[in-house]
Amino acid sequence: MSLSAPGLDTALDTSTVVTARTGRRKAPRAGLRRRMSFDYVSFLLVFLGLPVAIFLIFVISPFVQAVYYAMTNWTGFSPDMDFVGVENFVRLFQDATFLQAMGNNVLLAIVVPLITIVIALVFASMITVGGPSHGQVRGLKGSSFYRVVSFFPYVIPAIVIAILWNMIYTPSGLLNGILGVVGIDTNEFAWLGDARTAMGATIFVIVWSMVGFYMVLFIAAIKGIPGETLEAARIDGAGRFRTVISIVLPQIRDNVQTAYIYLGILALDAFVYMAGLNSTGGPGNSTLVMSQYLFRTAFEKGQFGMASAMGVVLAVITLLFAAIVISVFRLVGGKDEGGRA
Amino acid sequence: MALTETSISRRNLLRGVTATALLLPFGMSLASCAAPGGGGADAGPAGEATSDNPFGVAANTKVDAVVFDGGYGVDYVENAAKIMEGNKGLEGVSITVAASTKIAQELQPRFVGGNPPDLVDNSGANSIGWNTILEQLEDLSDVLESDNLEGKKIADTLFDGVKAPGTFGDKFAAINYVFTTYGVWYSGSLFEENGWEPPTTWQDLMALGEAAKEKDKYLFLWGKEASTYYQTFVVDSAVIQSGDEVRLPLENLEEGCWSHPTLQSILTILHDLIAAGYVKPGGGGTQFTEAQAQWSLDQEALLYPSGSWIENEMKKTTADNFQMMGVREMPLDDKATTPEGYMRAEAGEPFIVPSKAKNPAGGKELLRTMLSKEAASAFSKEKLAPTVVKDIVPEDGFGSTALVSQVEMIAAAGTGMFTIKSFNLYGMNSDQLPIWNSFLDGKMTVEEITKQLQDLTDKIRNDSSIEKIEIE
Repeated sequence: MSLSAPGLDTALDTSTVVTARTGRRKAPRAGLRRRMSFDYVSFLLVFLGLPVAIFLIFVISPFVQAVYYAMTNWTGFSPDMDFVGVENFVRLFQDATFLQAMGNNVLLAIVVPLITIVIALVFASMITVGGPSHGQVRGLKGSSFYRVVSFFPYVIPAIVIAILWNMIYTPSGLLNGILGVVGIDTNEFAWLGDARTAMGATIFVIVWSMVGFYMVLFIAAIKGIPGETLEAARIDGAGRFRTVISIVLPQIRDNVQTAYIYLGILALDAFVYMAGLNSTGGPGNSTLVMSQYLFRTAFEKGQFGMASAMGVVLAVITLLFAAIVISVFRLVGGKDEGGRA
Repeated sequence: MALTETSISRRNLLRGVTATALLLPFGMSLASCAAPGGGGADAGPAGEATSDNPFGVAANTKVDAVVFDGGYGVDYVENAAKIMEGNKGLEGVSITVAASTKIAQELQPRFVGGNPPDLVDNSGANSIGWNTILEQLEDLSDVLESDNLEGKKIADTLFDGVKAPGTFGDKFAAINYVFTTYGVWYSGSLFEENGWEPPTTWQDLMALGEAAKEKDKYLFLWGKEASTYYQTFVVDSAVIQSGDEVRLPLENLEEGCWSHPTLQSILTILHDLIAAGYVKPGGGGTQFTEAQAQWSLDQEALLYPSGSWIENEMKKTTADNFQMMGVREMPLDDKATTPEGYMRAEAGEPFIVPSKAKNPAGGKELLRTMLSKEAASAFSKEKLAPTVVKDIVPEDGFGSTALVSQVEMIAAAGTGMFTIKSFNLYGMNSDQLPIWNSFLDGKMTVEEITKQLQDLTDKIRNDSSIEKIEIE
């Protein structure tokens, strides 16, 4: 291993590094005490101990506490509670309203990321590689303008978006007005007040507000692909669609995966959008989500133990979702797995 | 250089940290879970009880009041606080009145921690469920037994409907301050113009709906957050028709309580009205104040069932010369078994005094001050609503036709008043809203709504973790 000739400064450094590599496996304990200098210990305390302590106190311990509360009948307003074991969970899974809310969440977690990512990808491709088929590979004319405009919705806070669309969807609102102008008489249709359209209308709002951000994210990722690759593909005769599917998509797979998980977590929560669009849970609870039901159970019905149990279920579903997405992407990912960090 | 051994020690360290990460919070949180918060504040110093200071508020103490900042604001309590601070019978008492729109969320940690405020107005959509805090509240019977600032026994100065809504089991836990009458509201000028008469029974509604349709108007409309106003309307009407045989089963969550024939007949009429197109469609997608403005400002519908807060709530969005008037919710037909004028009226804005508060005597004293003639008159004049204190509102209702209607209704009812508590008591409203939205939208039959409402009632009755309170 040690190819270095002693005496040369640079070579010395190299050899040390090499020793370090081998030393990792051998674990020479003799050196440990020597290294525990004040500098080193204080460094560890400040940069490792402190963050870990903060993490434990403010992140982990509330989690554990919530799990404990989930197994009690705490009302939330008195210091007294009894330990009831898994009873809350048993009752949750017999509660038709909760199961309906869970179903709504699952639907959202599947549909919202899918639509958002597809649209964001289409836009991102058009802006980066969808341009003229001669000269350098580039986006459509005026692409930077589209990029800024489509980012706008993301800048508006979610609650404002929800209230805005609530007014657009209202029977005497803008949507029915516009449809009337183009000759479709909707007869003051209540988009959020009908079980057939409420969920679709809600999903549209969430997608609308998120597409811009993920488009920008994908544009950044696509810009990271070497131009030569794209040009080579074109010289080989690949059209725009083929380029996106076979060249761009595989190279930004990590970004798509991250986007999918983020959007899924957002969809599993969705509290702000739902509270703003249909605070009552929608017609026949068709847009009720778990977080809304949790809030109600805690503060309206005074069942904090039960509400904590819902929180635990929500957390488990979120973790499961992330695990499923990651493993699906692994499966689809195929050979180049090893190359990624 | 340092890289050599660093990697090893870092790894060991991480391992140790992970182990601690797993163990430490368990110990910590289990310790803290055993008793969230402290054991409660010590009782403050007690003063001597005199006729000017019946609850013995100690000198130089503080009173901490948290008031729901809703339709009536909080200035009426601040006004009473000023009167109390100027009371010569008390020495150096200072009062802070804090406004809150989310009583449950804001006060939850204080109740758990054992330092709740001395006086709370537990009202609004985010109020604390009664069955969760009842044990921690003072019994307020002694406030009614005490004399008001003018020297009269408080119990004698109040309307009859005060005690019922504040009594849970055998505890009188809340004094409700504002008197609310439930009725069906309409525009006096519009009715006069068209020669319509306000309905007196449910049998009148079909004809009125027909008349409304001729004028291109609807009979009723609703908003999605307030669809249960129609539940209130239907249930109250059934109680007005058949009395306690409808009310008590509903209040005590009995089996089949929604299947009473009177209730069913009224639901059937409402269903017919919806089917006939007399109820404005699309309410399930309309925000409730927007819907109410369609009634009060655009006059698209004739009638709106609501509590008497409606006048104050829509003050800024009511058409000129609307002349809002109300009639009591009407019985099914003219064979009602209850006395003439029987109506739902109850005191709202429930004020409570938590037992663990630092100065519960101060909280009670502030309540006593609010029930004085001076404070109550100021409230009615300012808010155009009656308080629970009798004989405050003059004949002209301070110029409000709605207030005059209310006083007339109250006079006609005499002692014949009732209230419905169970829906709020068990936090059922949010589960009932979607059901009523669907029914009013014409998506449900009478059988379906009966089943869904009954299922909801049964679910609560059969849930052993929810504490039930017997209602008489």
